[in-house]
Amino acid sequence: MPTPKLKNVSRFLFVAIVTVPVVSGMVYAALYSLGIIGILNTEISSKAWQTVFFGKPFWSAIGFSLYISVVSMAISLAVALLISIKWQKNLRDGLLGTAIYFPLCFPGTVMAFFSFQMLSKSGFVSRLGFNMGWIEDLRVFPSWIHDAYGIGIIFTSVLLITPFFIILFSNLFKTENIASFQHLAKTFGASNRQILWKVTLPILLKRASVTIYLFTIFIMGSYEVPLLLGRQDPQMISVAIIQKIQRFNLNDIPQGYAMSILYVLLILSVVILLFFRNKNFFKTSAV
Amino acid sequence: MMENILEIKNLDKTFGKETVLKNINLSLKKNAVVSLLGASGSGKTTLLKIIAGLEHQNNGEIFLNGKEISNIKPQRRNIVYLYQEALLFPHLNAFENVAFGLRLRKTPEKDVKQKVMQMLEYLGMPNHATKMANQLSGGQRQRISFGRAMIIEPSLLLLDEPFGALDSTTRQKMQELFKELAKTMQLSALFVTHDLKEAIVMGDSIGKIMKGHLKQHSDLREFYEDEESGVKKEVEFWKQFIN
Repeated sequence: MPTPKLKNVSRFLFVAIVTVPVVSGMVYAALYSLGIIGILNTEISSKAWQTVFFGKPFWSAIGFSLYISVVSMAISLAVALLISIKWQKNLRDGLLGTAIYFPLCFPGTVMAFFSFQMLSKSGFVSRLGFNMGWIEDLRVFPSWIHDAYGIGIIFTSVLLITPFFIILFSNLFKTENIASFQHLAKTFGASNRQILWKVTLPILLKRASVTIYLFTIFIMGSYEVPLLLGRQDPQMISVAIIQKIQRFNLNDIPQGYAMSILYVLLILSVVILLFFRNKNFFKTSAV
Repeated sequence: MMENILEIKNLDKTFGKETVLKNINLSLKKNAVVSLLGASGSGKTTLLKIIAGLEHQNNGEIFLNGKEISNIKPQRRNIVYLYQEALLFPHLNAFENVAFGLRLRKTPEKDVKQKVMQMLEYLGMPNHATKMANQLSGGQRQRISFGRAMIIEPSLLLLDEPFGALDSTTRQKMQELFKELAKTMQLSALFVTHDLKEAIVMGDSIGKIMKGHLKQHSDLREFYEDEESGVKKEVEFWKQFIN
């Protein structure tokens, strides 16, 4: 058990490293968005906030980010569950157990370039299709990069997060004693389908729920991948904010800060809602 | 003569080159409890898993109610195997844990509610119906685990050291509860333990597995008389403090 002195040092470090920078950034952004500070700001104004709150770009960016995040998570979870349940033995004892860590070494930017090389109109899949005679011209190949549905972004996000969830589910399979639960359910008369839907999936997903929510938020806020593979409209929220803050029009900067605060407040509201629905939700020891 | 619910004939089990069970013969009368004693690694758990259908024997036959079940899937045997841990499903509350088997059988909702509440009353836990597994004590979890098994009225209950993880007071209470349940609900059960006293308390008769061989005694007197059972040595040990 930590001594009171060590506890105080830990608290100080937490405040100094985490709380102070984050709160300082939020305060700076709030002051800038309200016209209190900033090179072109002359008076206190809620104009930036009104433009963001009642305008379309912020909400369409939030909607697009949520769509990309939910679809990427759904595909990743489905693939990760399938692999971790079906190939449990290979993950535990075989080469796959080591190889699965390999994709985690790739940074998002590298994976985005890989996706670009694979899925663009002049990419590998397109050329393969052309040489196989499936398409008559490379230009006929569907737009999977810089497209309206964010297919390239989703593909890359899935590549980035699926290995992580395979490792997570594979470890949970062992630590949560899933094999014993499956055997128990068998002796109660459960079919393989019932074991999957009533035992294996609920236990794994419940245990991983906090991580799933956090990754959903993480993908919503991803920057490099949508910057490289997304298009100007619709944009994901991080790209939209950075463009407002770093664009040549300095008058847009307050809007960028207002968007970032509003985005943080939305995410915080969801986290607080989850917390009040179940106060044990973010405790790792709770079932 | 009372009929046998379980008969095992000439059963062998090997893992690789290691023989775990050799020429096992066992019979269990209907509505009776047989305690199976044995040291760790003696093959007790393997035998239970084979009876439940979770492992397969190399040789031998298993009969349940006179029918051979050796090649029948565990789902169709109507034999429930309970582990040392209560293994309550962590995503379900106490009520839903008890209702698990009934829901698999698509029992009408009205009957589920009535049967589960009746079982919880019987276990002395009606006020814990909405609690999750991590909100229950070890003994309470084990009660719910029993309720979950008994509500589907299995032909045979296999208990693999069910009280092994409990403290001595809770263990004694659970032994009493199980004895009462076994009598009231007319259970047929194989009760595995490595505790000599528990084996005597829980079983109508006792079997002992040593180095893969099973010796079954028809009653407790015969078990006492057997030099290999260890009961006489135990009695002698306690006698030295009396004399």
